[in-house]
Amino acid sequence: MKKLFVVIAVSGTALIASLGLVACGGGGGDTSSGGGGGQEGGILKGTYASFPDYMDPQLSYTAEGWTAMGEVYIPLLTYKHAEGAEGSEVVPGLAEDLPTISNGGKTYTLKLRPGLKYSDGAAVKASDFPYAVERAFVLSSGGSPFYTGIVGAEEFAETKKGGIPGIEANDKTGEIVINLTKPRGTFENELALMFVAPVPQSTPMEDQSATPPPGTGPYTITKSQPGKGWEYERNPYWAKANSEAMPEYPTGSIDGAKITVIRNPQSQVDDIEQGTYDWMQNPPPSSRYAEVKSKYEGSQFLVQSTISTYYFWLNTEEAPFDDVKVRQAVNYAIDSRALERIYAGQIVGTDQILPPGMPGYEKFDLYPHDLAKAKEMIKEAAPADMDITVWTDTESPNNEAGEYLNDVLQQLGFNTELKILNADNYFTVIGNATTPNLDAGWSDWFEDYPHPNDFFQPLLSGESILPTNNGNFAKISDPELNKEIETLGEERLEPDEETAYAELDKKFMEQAPWAPYGTRTLSTFVSDAIELDSIIYNPTFFEYLTSFEFK
Amino acid sequence: MAIDPQPEAAAVAAPTAGGERGPWSLAARRFVRNRVAVAFLVLFFLIVLFVLAAPLWADHVAHTGPNKTHTLQQLTVGGEKRDVVNVEGQPIGPQLFAADGMFFLGADSRLGRDEMVRLMYGGRTSLLIGITTALITTALAVILGLLAGYYRGWIDTVIARTLDILWSLPVLLVGIALGVTLAVGGLKIGPLELSGGSLWIPIIVICVFTVPYIARPIRGEVLSLSNKEFVEAAVAQGAGPLRVMFGEILPNLASTIIVFFTLTIANNMLFEAGLSFLGAGVQPPNSSWGTMITVGVDLLNTQPLLAIIPGTMIMLTVLSLNIVGDGLRDALDPRSKIDLEAHTGTVATKASGAAAI
Repeated sequence: MKKLFVVIAVSGTALIASLGLVACGGGGGDTSSGGGGGQEGGILKGTYASFPDYMDPQLSYTAEGWTAMGEVYIPLLTYKHAEGAEGSEVVPGLAEDLPTISNGGKTYTLKLRPGLKYSDGAAVKASDFPYAVERAFVLSSGGSPFYTGIVGAEEFAETKKGGIPGIEANDKTGEIVINLTKPRGTFENELALMFVAPVPQSTPMEDQSATPPPGTGPYTITKSQPGKGWEYERNPYWAKANSEAMPEYPTGSIDGAKITVIRNPQSQVDDIEQGTYDWMQNPPPSSRYAEVKSKYEGSQFLVQSTISTYYFWLNTEEAPFDDVKVRQAVNYAIDSRALERIYAGQIVGTDQILPPGMPGYEKFDLYPHDLAKAKEMIKEAAPADMDITVWTDTESPNNEAGEYLNDVLQQLGFNTELKILNADNYFTVIGNATTPNLDAGWSDWFEDYPHPNDFFQPLLSGESILPTNNGNFAKISDPELNKEIETLGEERLEPDEETAYAELDKKFMEQAPWAPYGTRTLSTFVSDAIELDSIIYNPTFFEYLTSFEFK
Repeated sequence: MAIDPQPEAAAVAAPTAGGERGPWSLAARRFVRNRVAVAFLVLFFLIVLFVLAAPLWADHVAHTGPNKTHTLQQLTVGGEKRDVVNVEGQPIGPQLFAADGMFFLGADSRLGRDEMVRLMYGGRTSLLIGITTALITTALAVILGLLAGYYRGWIDTVIARTLDILWSLPVLLVGIALGVTLAVGGLKIGPLELSGGSLWIPIIVICVFTVPYIARPIRGEVLSLSNKEFVEAAVAQGAGPLRVMFGEILPNLASTIIVFFTLTIANNMLFEAGLSFLGAGVQPPNSSWGTMITVGVDLLNTQPLLAIIPGTMIMLTVLSLNIVGDGLRDALDPRSKIDLEAHTGTVATKASGAAAI
């Protein structure tokens, strides 16, 4: 999932303008850096609070993973190297141009740029694209449901044999033709996701987190030690081949980066203050947030709004949450004002799926906090199974949010057990159908692209329930709502569709598979050696490595 | 019960003006004369009383439970309303009796739980784990030490080498790995099933790794005692192995066991605190002094007492148990330097010789 710590700025257009941050993009000019006035060269020392879920482009579905690999694996299409709404614009990546759409919106034709090479020197071939799509299905990637609309993809997902007939790739001409079973309004956005970034066909059909495959971007991952950290160097074939083939893509200022996982965010803050590290990917801990903000905002620290929803999922397949009344009662019992304090003011309370800023968002308040009513509803529902396991991860304040849910469920009369897992593998564990007692827990979601379908199809549709890397933790599969997601997904986003998505939001919340509680504001904190103004926060790929510059 | 007829012990046990005194009575008198040890024994009992009073304080003073959150609650202090957790997520500090005893030591975190209540319940957990693990490890260690030291041969080889292997492991690292694994997945062996949050998980982890620290010295002492004349005499009289081990040798290990037991409580409490601090011991939302330090460290810059208070409780408890353990060792050791003469009129013994009473 696009979860955890992301820094994006969808509503930060004014800020971008004031800081003069817009860099790269389609306008030519200097593509060597993010646009600041910093120096060339240097090795960035960065720190993450946890290792990404996977260091494999077809598998990773977290903010950490996409931040880590955004400048290593370039899809056929990508997002503009910019912030906010401009950064949500789909632009050509490895493809020469945006796709030609024909056959009533069911056929997408693209052409690979000539002369592209991977970081190991091998030529990029058109057939590497269908290989990447197949690899996503074979590995049961959490992102694979985006591509089940390709002709033959569903069959391939089941058999994992024989290829996907809906993708035709010609290595000689570089042409790639993708045939869909029906039109899909979000498909361009989905072609710009890292799940289908081409990789060499020699890449094994298994998780490559310890030995990430060669990529096409300006940087390559030279060393990866899951749980500990990883290192980047410049892609030797970027300067020789790829930068010429895609001149609008930035080359970056720094020579490389060394990322270390430091699980104590207090230490991370100290390290940034002392200059031991240059950048921390996750925000400061809540206990230091106010202090860091007051001391460094504007010089080393930036706060960004995000398009995200933080929520508790309730497993609709198993008792007691198979009863909609019980799920609704939990929604009444959760008080987002309490969670705003638990997050030290870093979330804004909400109790709906679509967050502010997302097309289709219409504010409603279906479950105003009412603990007495919640208790009454539980009494009426009289669930037979009162034992609940609550899941969350170790990172603060998500762990405290889990403890809060645990306490609320106890107040409703349930017997609870709290499980707090290491953040490195939290989503892998709760996304695995064989994990027992997946009753309720914490999660979050940051937009993959600016389309409300992104908050429904990967999280709440029946087809997104997967045996591994599952993203539909509530395991909700309502035939009517599934059909509605599917129908809306075929359309391009117009005002009528936005209204329909707002209605869909309400319909889902009436079913209450989640208890949403907030939209996150996040931050980036760098040492005084880094040009803060040059850093670009993209809504999809977050902080671009190419935008870091030393002063 | 056979007592090793050490001449020194006999001298200690000699009739005095006060009449015939047994070795236990003398040991008790020696201990009472050790004022530092007695003071810390009193302190330990006060700590036990403090944690036993947890439900009384929670129900009648704080009016809350140890895991109950109060994030949005307001207190009236001196006619003013105060947030238990403010909008920046900072918990309220110690109120002592300003709010009628509620939040006496403040709130523990952004969840707004009563720190005093958690301290008392956390102490129960820490002491429960310390005492339970000490009982189990001591019992296991005595059995293993007796079997290895008495039977020798292959039984000794198997037990001693197994203990060596356990001893050679990096205790904290393996303890964390085992603790985290069991805390997440629970434990299921046949009919025995433990959930990940069960207190038995840290208890088992601690027991596994602390047995060698007691079993090995006990084995050594059994090896020495089993060569003594009183053991040979018992065997010559037809006593079986069980009777010799438990009827003849075990009573002579009493002082060693008692001393080890007290010290093991202290050590295991520290082990539990370490495991819990690292997330491999007591699992949230339950509190122990170790987990409270973990929570407190997060707010060390603004509310240092949240980490200092449970840390101080651990220090005082461990210190008191260590000093009491030392006092017991001195009292039970006939070579003790504590001079009873001045107080009892007995002949002071500065004897040397075997350690057994």
